[in-house]
Amino acid sequence: MTVLYSCPFVPAEWIAAHGLRPSRVTVRPAHATAPGLGVGVCPYANAFLQEVSVPGNGAAVVFTTTCDQMRRISERMDPGQPVFVMHVPTTWQTTAAQRLYRDELLRLGRFLEGLGGRPPSPERLADTMIAFDEARAKLRDARGALSPRQFSEAIAHFHHTGQVSLPANATPASSPGVPLALAGGPMMSHHFDLFDLIEQHGGAIVLDATTTGERSLPPPFDRRALRDDPIGELAGAYFGHIPDAFRRPNSRLYTWLRDAVAERGIRGIILRHYLWCDTWHAEVQRMREWDLVPVLALHAEQDESLGIRTTARLQAFLEMLL
Amino acid sequence: MNRTPEQISLHEWDRLHDDLVAAGLPQPSYGGPLSRHVPDGDLRLPRLRYDNSPAALRLWNFLLTEEDRLAAARTEGKQLVGTMKDLGTVPVMAYSSPSLVAFYPDGAWWIPCVMELSAGLLEVADSLGIDESFCPVRAMLGAFLTEAHFPIPDLLTCNVGATCDDFSAIAQRLNGLGYPILWWESPHRRAPDPGEASVELPGGFVAPEAQVAFVHDELERVRRALAHIAGRTITDAMLAEGITTANKVRSTLDELRRLAYAAEPCPMPALEMLIAEMLAIHFCSDRDECLAVLDELLAEVRSRVDAGLGALAGGAVRVFWVNPVADLRVMNMLEQAGGRICGTEYLFCHALDPIPEDLPPMEALARMALADPMTGPTADRADRICRDIGLFGSEAVVVSQIPGASHCATEGAVIRDTVGARLGIPVTEIEVPPVADAMAPTIRNRLDALLETARARRETLSATHEPVRTTT
Repeated sequence: MTVLYSCPFVPAEWIAAHGLRPSRVTVRPAHATAPGLGVGVCPYANAFLQEVSVPGNGAAVVFTTTCDQMRRISERMDPGQPVFVMHVPTTWQTTAAQRLYRDELLRLGRFLEGLGGRPPSPERLADTMIAFDEARAKLRDARGALSPRQFSEAIAHFHHTGQVSLPANATPASSPGVPLALAGGPMMSHHFDLFDLIEQHGGAIVLDATTTGERSLPPPFDRRALRDDPIGELAGAYFGHIPDAFRRPNSRLYTWLRDAVAERGIRGIILRHYLWCDTWHAEVQRMREWDLVPVLALHAEQDESLGIRTTARLQAFLEMLL
Repeated sequence: MNRTPEQISLHEWDRLHDDLVAAGLPQPSYGGPLSRHVPDGDLRLPRLRYDNSPAALRLWNFLLTEEDRLAAARTEGKQLVGTMKDLGTVPVMAYSSPSLVAFYPDGAWWIPCVMELSAGLLEVADSLGIDESFCPVRAMLGAFLTEAHFPIPDLLTCNVGATCDDFSAIAQRLNGLGYPILWWESPHRRAPDPGEASVELPGGFVAPEAQVAFVHDELERVRRALAHIAGRTITDAMLAEGITTANKVRSTLDELRRLAYAAEPCPMPALEMLIAEMLAIHFCSDRDECLAVLDELLAEVRSRVDAGLGALAGGAVRVFWVNPVADLRVMNMLEQAGGRICGTEYLFCHALDPIPEDLPPMEALARMALADPMTGPTADRADRICRDIGLFGSEAVVVSQIPGASHCATEGAVIRDTVGARLGIPVTEIEVPPVADAMAPTIRNRLDALLETARARRETLSATHEPVRTTT
């Protein structure tokens, strides 16, 4: 059985170790609002709901609480489809929050068993974690050899399928553009065109800090700890290290960005947020005031085709940086 | 003085106030004519209709003088605690210490309404990147930065986790501006798994014991922080006493709601009842006076019910209201359209339910916090709404959407579907901005349509001698 989800705090290896197929969905745009959703619904949440609630697809769906709309939209699923809502703590500085995340993983495990999954032995879990760890290492190693778009699409493909599939026609940027970071929530399938547009205007995304991209990859596991306490290592790597805007406080996101900006010589940040996404929207002005590098905010719409306004704003931003 | 209960204008209240004072009406220290608040900027007041009882006058004056009480508390050397988002839990803890006064910075969301946008708070929020796509509670940012509406608290707490993204994001923005915040977490309340130990929460929801234990530990962190600024331990005995007093407020309010929402004709208008319910969240910065204000209001309602008198005409359509309105005037609008409030769920029903007194106090508070309707599925909320509709005999439901609020995009349909399927009563959704004057014709049209539908249903049921179906 396939287990669909979109949140980076759901560890794929935990699902795979239970013998089920994890798939962090790359959502396609939806062209209408799903029944029962009103004004103010996030375009991504709407599209995700329509992507995963296909009658008869036989898949289970995991929602999390990192986004209020995604949590609530779980109630609009067909009652016949298995649904699990995982609480990912917003706070992170207490041992209680860390323990709660681990307990939620164990509860997710019981849900997976209910779907026919087998509880993994520590060895099986550790082996699965190593396999995913190696796949992520392979992805990270490919960063310089691929174009920014190819790299981000390869990460999204890995999330979606569990497979690392690097393009045969790897095309690293021919001329180095202005190094930029792309930050924000999850990308939809058609949003990757943005990479091309940026490149056309003289920029290059050297850090994909969206929820779909590099930011949401957990760090490499500690191999010794992994053998001693695999579930503890899994929880620590995901909950303890993935920076995100929803966390309270979300200072780690800024620390992580600051380090990445320095390491990769980033000269500007493009922050994309969906209309009605309070979590990322609220960071736009703060990130500007942070004054590390210039910030350009872009709305990411459900039916976004990279229109004249986006193009013009990007162009102006890059002209300023060139 | 014998007065017939009715709704009157601000101007009429001033004349009545003078008459009452001349007749010897005793007034609290914060008493006086309501219109004196208008030069302070409360420009909405002349556009509202008020109940004409001295109890209502005291209620309004109590509400509109909170800032003075906070300033006085600071002068007396008390420590101020801003309790954000939890709507009723941390204030009970704070008031258990004589050195602390809690208030509710989120309450600033009504300032744009009460001051008819003249305070510029939304503009401050705009300038901080928190625009109109956020809930009107963004006004709180402006209130912090201007320091013109409440003193900056000595401790700020904020409930996060399974709450709403608007508030969490706005509080994070505040934190990013340099205001330290103690974050405490509520997990998404879920149904217990088969075989999992569970407990019943105040209000009837059920939650796993493990979730209650988690919230208990979170509240222990809050207790330590409160004790730190109070300069002394807050013992279980102090908390137990605090819970007992909070329950006095809640039981007074409970009786008030039962009388005001069930009696025919309606003995107390919607606006005064909305304010009375709000007091339960944080006691409007003076717990003892809050109880006295509610006691007087209850006495007034009792006497009206005993005399068969109402502030509204009899036969009004009995409406259950979901979510607080950003513009207070809309509550008047419902009554002008021929409706009356018979049941509410203003997103803080957990602040109205009695806190268990037969449990260790922190356990009782944890259960109460987890009963917050925001933390659980909307289906739970809809269940409770159906139950309360049965209690109050409501004939129609208004789901009042809060512009930009993250929970509003999905909850309306869940509530509508549940209420429709179980009770068959009409439901409408309206959206109410902080100053709804431009939207008034649209809102009024929707309310008229709802009330007409409810009246038609009432006539049909009456013709067929069927009782109005209001039980789940």
